[in-house]
Amino acid sequence: MVRSSLAMNKKIVIAAASVVTEADLASARLGQRFGRLDLQSRLALLAVAALKIDFATLPADRIGICLAASAGSLTTDFNFWNGRGGVGGPSPTQFAYTLPSAAVGEIAIHFGLTGPNLCFVGDDKNLLPEAADWIRSDKVGGCLCVFCEVVSSEIAKIISAPAAPTACALFIRSAEAVQGLLELREFDRDMKALCALISQTKSAG
Amino acid sequence: MQISTHDLKAKIIESLKLQDITPEQIDDDAPLFGTGLGLDSIDALELVVLLEKDYGIVIKDIEEGRPAFRSVKTLAEFIAAKRPQ
Repeated sequence: MVRSSLAMNKKIVIAAASVVTEADLASARLGQRFGRLDLQSRLALLAVAALKIDFATLPADRIGICLAASAGSLTTDFNFWNGRGGVGGPSPTQFAYTLPSAAVGEIAIHFGLTGPNLCFVGDDKNLLPEAADWIRSDKVGGCLCVFCEVVSSEIAKIISAPAAPTACALFIRSAEAVQGLLELREFDRDMKALCALISQTKSAG
Repeated sequence: MQISTHDLKAKIIESLKLQDITPEQIDDDAPLFGTGLGLDSIDALELVVLLEKDYGIVIKDIEEGRPAFRSVKTLAEFIAAKRPQ
């Protein structure tokens, strides 16, 4: 009872936000193996790196990862399928990324995070409420929220959608006081809008 | 026929999409897996595909390929011995 009332009073703040596009990948330097990742994993990893959070100073098992992939792993699935007719068969590396949750694993490995994780296939509407719930229930002290919209030009033609691969990330955490940070509100759902708002505020400041 | 280790390293870098590394930085005798170049099991499969695509060598038995994958030098020797004429 005491714990739940404490949890109810806990504030959740947005400690950092980022938005990255495919164009940002060209200058990204995230280790020797960054190039082998599929587009979604590279964008997700870069979006988290762009948050500039020193994860080494935080308890690894108290940081969660919640990721939503709007098109699942469709782009990589498509590339893998297209490789089936070649000599030697399709790429084994691509096969490893034919799971939408692969990006979660890459983030966890790269930053050494061992907390709980979750992957949604679809929009970002459940990401922030789920992550906030983890914090309120004290499963984690902070959570990385990543939303990937990765539709390659080939897939875009098939599904009549714009091809503009992007990823945005937020790091939310519990706090005793807001201290100049943006507080996550109960009704905040739109990751893209929040990331854009925070990025605008930062550049204006 | 001898295989240039430099060319083989370039193919490995391209095939495995290794970043920030040049053929000159890879030691001919350094282990490909674990320490050395630090490749993993997925890379091993990718190398098997590379051998088939670029050199026409099909590895059917993993035991046959295991000694070949010790280093760039052993891989070059394996290709030279197995490459179809």
